[in-house]
Amino acid sequence: MRGGYVLQRLGVAVATILAIVLFNFILFRLMPGSPERILLRGIPNVSAERLEATRERWGLNDPILPISIDDSGIHLAAENQFFKYLAATAQGDLGYSFVARGQEVASVLGQRLWPTLLLFGLGEVVAIVLGLALGAYSGWRRGGPIDQIGNGISLFLYATPYFLLGMVLLLLGAALGLPTFGMLTAGGSYADIWARLGDLAAHLALPLATVSLGLVGQYAIVMRSSIVETLTEDYVTTARAMGLRDGRVLRAHALPNALLPTVSLVAINLGYVIAGAVTVEVVFNWPGLGTLAVDALRARDYPVLQGVFLLLSVSVVVANLIADLVYGLLDPRVRT
Amino acid sequence: MTASAAMVTSARRPSRWRPLGGFLRRYARRRDGMLGAAILVFFGVLAMAPELFVGPLQTVVTATGGRLQSPTTEFPLGTDHVGRDVLNLVVHGARVSMIIGLLATVVTVLIGAVIGVVAGFVGGRVDGVLMRITDFFLVLPTFVLALILTPIIQDLVGSGSREILGIRMTLIVIVVVIGITSWSSSARIIRGQTLSLRERAFVDRARVIGAGPGHIMLKHILPNVMNLIVANAVLVFAGAVLTETTLSFVGLGDPFQPSWGQLLDAARQSGAPGLLAWWDFVPAGLCIVLVVFAFTLVGSALDDLLNPRRRARS
Repeated sequence: MRGGYVLQRLGVAVATILAIVLFNFILFRLMPGSPERILLRGIPNVSAERLEATRERWGLNDPILPISIDDSGIHLAAENQFFKYLAATAQGDLGYSFVARGQEVASVLGQRLWPTLLLFGLGEVVAIVLGLALGAYSGWRRGGPIDQIGNGISLFLYATPYFLLGMVLLLLGAALGLPTFGMLTAGGSYADIWARLGDLAAHLALPLATVSLGLVGQYAIVMRSSIVETLTEDYVTTARAMGLRDGRVLRAHALPNALLPTVSLVAINLGYVIAGAVTVEVVFNWPGLGTLAVDALRARDYPVLQGVFLLLSVSVVVANLIADLVYGLLDPRVRT
Repeated sequence: MTASAAMVTSARRPSRWRPLGGFLRRYARRRDGMLGAAILVFFGVLAMAPELFVGPLQTVVTATGGRLQSPTTEFPLGTDHVGRDVLNLVVHGARVSMIIGLLATVVTVLIGAVIGVVAGFVGGRVDGVLMRITDFFLVLPTFVLALILTPIIQDLVGSGSREILGIRMTLIVIVVVIGITSWSSSARIIRGQTLSLRERAFVDRARVIGAGPGHIMLKHILPNVMNLIVANAVLVFAGAVLTETTLSFVGLGDPFQPSWGQLLDAARQSGAPGLLAWWDFVPAGLCIVLVVFAFTLVGSALDDLLNPRRRARS
C-alpha cells in the first residue's frame, strides 16, 4: 500500500474528528442556561470556589474562539475556550452527568460500553456470517426458491425499524417465557460463574436475535448482487471453461472477489447499526449506550448525550478509516 | 392552409405533456411501482381526512374503551393502555406521520438541491468546500446527531402549544432536524448530474447570450435535474418516515399529535408487548413497514425510469 493513500485517509479522518469536536463545542454553547451551571447541575451545594474553579478549568473567563474580530481588528488569543475544550476532551474529561449524581461522563460511558459491544459485536458477527452465506447462495442459484423467498424477506426486513422487530420478538419471547428485561435477573444470586453466564445468555437471546435479523437482509442483498456481478466476469467463464466443478468456481474464483464490496458495507453500516442500537437496547432495557442515550435524552442530561455523540461518531470515523485501509490492502486498484 | 399548417406544427412540436404521458405508460407497466403507488394512495386518503373514517382523535379524556381490551366488533383493533380505540389512533397517526415525512422530505431535498446545483455549477473552491461539508455529514452517524440536536432545539424554541400550519412546534423541530441531517446524499447525486449538464452546449449558448450564473442554474440546470430530484425525493421520503418514527419512539414526539412512532413509544412504555397485547403496537408498526416498503418500490421504479445512468444500463 502506498504511503500517500494511507496519509490521505488518515488526514481526512483526523479532520473529520476535529470537525466533530468543534461541532460538539458549538452545541455546548447553544444550550439553554449558562455553561458552568450546566457543568455543575446535579451536584448539590456548589460553593463559590467550586464555581470559580470550574469557570477557570473550562476557561469560561477566556474568549470563546482563538480568533476574534471586532472594531479594532483581528485578535488572536492562545488562552481560549475552544483550545481548553480540546485539551479537556483529549484527556477524556467530558464533564459531569446531570442525573447520575454528578458522576463523570467518561466513567458513565465506560460502564455502558461493554453491554453494547457484547450485543452488537455478536449481532454483527452472526449477521455477517448468515447474510454473506445467504447472499452468496441466492446469487449463485439466482431465481431459485431460496433466492426469491430470501429477497422478499430481505426487502421486508429492510423496511422494518429495529425496535419494531424487537417488540414483536419480545412478545414472542414473553409468550415462550424468555427473559425480556435487562442483562441479568435483578437481584439474582448465582451458584457459580456458569450459572451467571447462563442467565446472561438467556437475557441476550432476544436482543441478539433482533440485531442479527435486522442486519442480515442488507448483507444478503449486497453479497447477492456482488456475486451476480462477479459471475459475469471473464475469469469465471475461464474457470468454468477449464472444467472446474461448480463449488470450486464459487469458492476459489467468485467468492473472494465478491467479498470486496461487503468490506466497506460493514463500515458504512456501523452508522446505521448505531441508530438501531439505540432503539433495540431501549426495547429490551439492555443497559448499554443506547439506553443511556435515551434516558439522558428524556432527562435532558446534555453532557451525557454529548459524550455518547462524541464516542459514537468518533468510532464510526475510525471504523470507516479501517475499512478504507483494509480495502486498500485487498484491492490494488484503489491504492493510487 | 393555415389550419393544416397549424396542425402540422402541433403534430411536430413535442407537446409539453407528451413526455409525461409516455412516462406514465412506462411506469404503469411496472408491477412493483404500481403496487407501491396503490399503498401510498390508500394511506394518502387516510391522511387527508382521518375524521371522515374514525371521527375525531381520541384522547385520555374522550377514550371510550377499557384498558388494553383485545379486538372486538366495537373496537376492531382493540384499545390501548388508557382505553383509546387503536384504530382511531392509527388512522390519525397516518396524518401526522405522512405530513411530517412530506415536510421533512421537502426540506431535505431543497437543501440537497441548492448545495448540489451550486457546487456542481460554480465548481472550484466553492465546490471543494461544499463537498467537504457534504462528506462530513455522509460519514457522521446522522441519526445520533438528530438525537442530540432535536432536544436542544426543542428546548431553545420552547415547545408550549404553539403551532405552525396546525403542526405543533415539537414536530416542526423534528422536520427541521431531519432536513439538516439527511440532505448529504441528495446533494451528492444532484451535483454529479449538474457537473455533466454544465458541459452541455445549451449552457454555453445561454452564457454567450449573456445569462448570469443564477439564471442558468434556475432556468437551465434545475429543470434538467428535476427528474433526479423527484426520484431521489421518494427514497428520501421513506428515510424521513423511518427517522421520524425512531425519534418519536425514543420520546421526542408529541403526545398531543401522535404519529405512528409516538404510538409505538406509548405502547412500549405501557409494557404492551410483554403483556402479549399485540393489537396495541402491531397495527401502527405494520403501517410504518407498509409505507416504507411502498416508497422503496415506487422509488426504485422511478429511479430505473428517470435516472439517466440507470436508463443507459438497462
